[in-house]
Amino acid sequence: MGTKLMDRRLFLKAAGATAGAVATTQVGCLKYFKKGRSSVADNREVPTTCELCPNKCSAIAVVEGGFVKKLNPNPENPKSRDMLCARGNAAIKQVYDPDRLKQPMIRVGARGEGKWKPVSWDEAFDFAAKKLAEVKEKHGPEASLWSSTEGFQEVFFKNLGLAFGSPNLVRHPTLCLASVNLAYSATFGTVPSFDLLNAKFVIMSGANRFESIITPDTMDLIGGVMERKAKLVYLDPRFTVTAAKADEWYPIKPGTDLAFILAMIHVIIKENRHSKDFVAAYTTGFEQLAEHVKQYTPEWAEKETEIPAKDIVRIAREFSDAAPRALYYAGRRSSWYQNDFQMRRAQAILNAIIGNWDQPGGMVPNAKLPKGEFLFMPWDEPKAPRVDEIEKHFPLAAKGDGVYLKLRENVLSGKPYPIKAWMVYKQDPMNAMPDQAKTLKMIEQMDFIGVIDVCMSDMAWYADVVFPESAYLERTDPVEVMAGIWPAVVYRQQVVKPIHDTKPNLDIIQGLAKRLGLADYFDYTIEQWVEAEFKELPIPMAAEHMKKHGVWAASGQPSYGKTLNPDHRFVTKTGKIEIFSERLQEAGYDPLPVYSAPVQPPSDRFRLILGRVGYFTHANQSNNVWLNEFMKENDLWINPKPAERLGIRNGGYVTVTSSVGSVKLKVRVTEEIRPDCVFMLHGFGKKSKMQSLVYNVGASDAVILETAWDKVSGNAAFHETFVKVANA
Amino acid sequence: MAMKKRRYALVIDSRKCINCKACVVACKAENEVPIGNFRNWINEDRQGEYPKLRIDFEPEQCHHCEHPSCARVCPTGATWQRKDGIVLVNYDECIGCRYCMIACPYDARYFHEESGTVHKCTLCNHRVDKGDVPACVATCPSKVRVFGDLEDPASRIHELLATRRYRVKEPQTGNGPQLYYLL
Repeated sequence: MGTKLMDRRLFLKAAGATAGAVATTQVGCLKYFKKGRSSVADNREVPTTCELCPNKCSAIAVVEGGFVKKLNPNPENPKSRDMLCARGNAAIKQVYDPDRLKQPMIRVGARGEGKWKPVSWDEAFDFAAKKLAEVKEKHGPEASLWSSTEGFQEVFFKNLGLAFGSPNLVRHPTLCLASVNLAYSATFGTVPSFDLLNAKFVIMSGANRFESIITPDTMDLIGGVMERKAKLVYLDPRFTVTAAKADEWYPIKPGTDLAFILAMIHVIIKENRHSKDFVAAYTTGFEQLAEHVKQYTPEWAEKETEIPAKDIVRIAREFSDAAPRALYYAGRRSSWYQNDFQMRRAQAILNAIIGNWDQPGGMVPNAKLPKGEFLFMPWDEPKAPRVDEIEKHFPLAAKGDGVYLKLRENVLSGKPYPIKAWMVYKQDPMNAMPDQAKTLKMIEQMDFIGVIDVCMSDMAWYADVVFPESAYLERTDPVEVMAGIWPAVVYRQQVVKPIHDTKPNLDIIQGLAKRLGLADYFDYTIEQWVEAEFKELPIPMAAEHMKKHGVWAASGQPSYGKTLNPDHRFVTKTGKIEIFSERLQEAGYDPLPVYSAPVQPPSDRFRLILGRVGYFTHANQSNNVWLNEFMKENDLWINPKPAERLGIRNGGYVTVTSSVGSVKLKVRVTEEIRPDCVFMLHGFGKKSKMQSLVYNVGASDAVILETAWDKVSGNAAFHETFVKVANA
Repeated sequence: MAMKKRRYALVIDSRKCINCKACVVACKAENEVPIGNFRNWINEDRQGEYPKLRIDFEPEQCHHCEHPSCARVCPTGATWQRKDGIVLVNYDECIGCRYCMIACPYDARYFHEESGTVHKCTLCNHRVDKGDVPACVATCPSKVRVFGDLEDPASRIHELLATRRYRVKEPQTGNGPQLYYLL
């Protein structure tokens, strides 16, 4: 107890020391506030939709004196379960951040040198359009690359890339969840939701759901507002918060989850515990599976995973006993190992054979809601093939998302053709992609780079022109339908006017389109776009409702079992749930998941594993002053045994070196990790001086991560890097 | 009509806390808490040796004690207690002597540099008086804290304290703390 109080006192003392520095930067802000204050009090409550992560929680913004004072959870959204997390609450500081991009800027020094000239929007648009036109003239429109991450206004950015004539749109999924999406689609023809609220028994492989918050899953697993929860078995090399809250935690040997799942299938089939009726009625390939898993005994899996065979057997029994209210949870950021697709496929198959499909407490195909579409002038499809050669190397992958790492390889080699212009929206490839040195090479060989962002990300720092986007609290965005077990429609409306010379993405896209001769394709306002979407919502007086409530959800219980009739055709080749997949076989992949043991680090190295905490998900959140208070610097987790062997002390500094880079990190000697792994948090060690709280503080995982990807989906494999650790 | 007697308190189910810090940031915004200061926080207790480990999280803030020692030591009467139990600081009367900070067994107070006065959790009395719950209670993803009136036999906290085992922190001080931690 005493140490805990002491820690807090020390922390307050340390925090007090930095408070002065922060206070000085905030003075500028206060001055601005005063200037902006009008004599008439502007006090309102405005429902809107959070944008700090992809969950899209409903929030009610409290405006006092024209400033966003507070964000409260909006209980009307069933997905966000009447909560707003730390990031959501801290969105206020995204608006009033002294580091914010306040006007368009053009680079005047070398790339990354940080010398900028503030310019007018006209100058910025003219400059970018001229450069893009030059690249088009010289190399064709396909020589431009358009990178973006999901968001309500991403559609406009993608449309400009396509209208410009480039097939090369590349999105975040292959740095995130592409393997899980592809594996479940390959099996069920769709990616279902997981009904954790009604499940009785849940197994998770490394999906650290209590620190990587996903709605409503996190709240349903902890027994939040709904106050009930399932038994949770959790596999992770690290003792995360999820491990601490789980009923059972197994520090599995990294990369061997597939062996665990195959052994569970082995036990369930051997003991005749699968759902025979369901398997017979809705699946194909069960016989091949039964034969295939005979080799994967629990005793064999114990050697691979280091989870005792008797526990694997017991868990398999408990899991099948709880069926159909039992789930092997898919997870989200599934970019771990080169066998990731097959590991997720095995999960899908395990779920299929216990018959939890479309049942309460099982996997449920997403319910959708209709929404209107604004009809804009269409353009000709881009003619060139994609530069990442997705059809050749990843025939099953989502074409519209591209394959990021393969794309970078091809851009660097200049084959099949050169890429000379790079437009980026709401994404930081400098931190999102492994091997930052390679990304810097990719940057070097570009004739032009334009970035649209709210803040000066590391990517923006290396751009030629930066277009400042208005923060979400300053914008009205397109309407979003959130498919799921509890489907909802959410609306983001402007809460306050932009406080700086920023624009919503649509206005930026229109500014560029006008100068590129593409204005006709973007001849609409956000209001017209939104009105068209409102029109077909299944709500009377939809526009009024959405403006007043910010969200609409169908009332009543979700409808389970709609796909459980013999006439239902799954969107697969056979129309059935495909345990054995001919489609995979034809594409040259294993039709059933085949285990091969992952390479383990040599004795002088550690496997680097990554993760998140509840208050930082994306690389830019560490620079939010309200979140940065919880962690000022990331550190390297290392188990005391190897630490002692290497003479590494808690709180000291070490160099962490992989084959592609080296970083310096503070050490956290902790029992909470396997001795063969080290861990670091994402989002520190920024190169951008306009991320002032984390500029050159801690280190970026991207510097030391090596390039590796899952063979089927092309998803980056972030846990395949081995590092040396030595005192700095 | 006589005013109904009220006694506000918090029941805390720490086992549901995932240390996400939502309550801390919500409080920061709601009460304009300066950077470096906190009106609520989450204690962490990490124990064990790999692989036998445990972590316990425990949200904490002003305990709004029955017999608040902070109020007793205040030389000007700036720290006072409402009839409903909420302990508040009258900033006009606070001289910034910080005796209360030393007297508080929970280290729940901080010195507000800009105003020269001492601040702490108010149980969001401005929200409570409008019929709302405190910001930390409302924002929580796992609904760890339950806010309510102990005098109301129909309240959720009344029910929880009647049916569950619980503890309070530092009961030996005689302060009569009103944060009830479910076991």
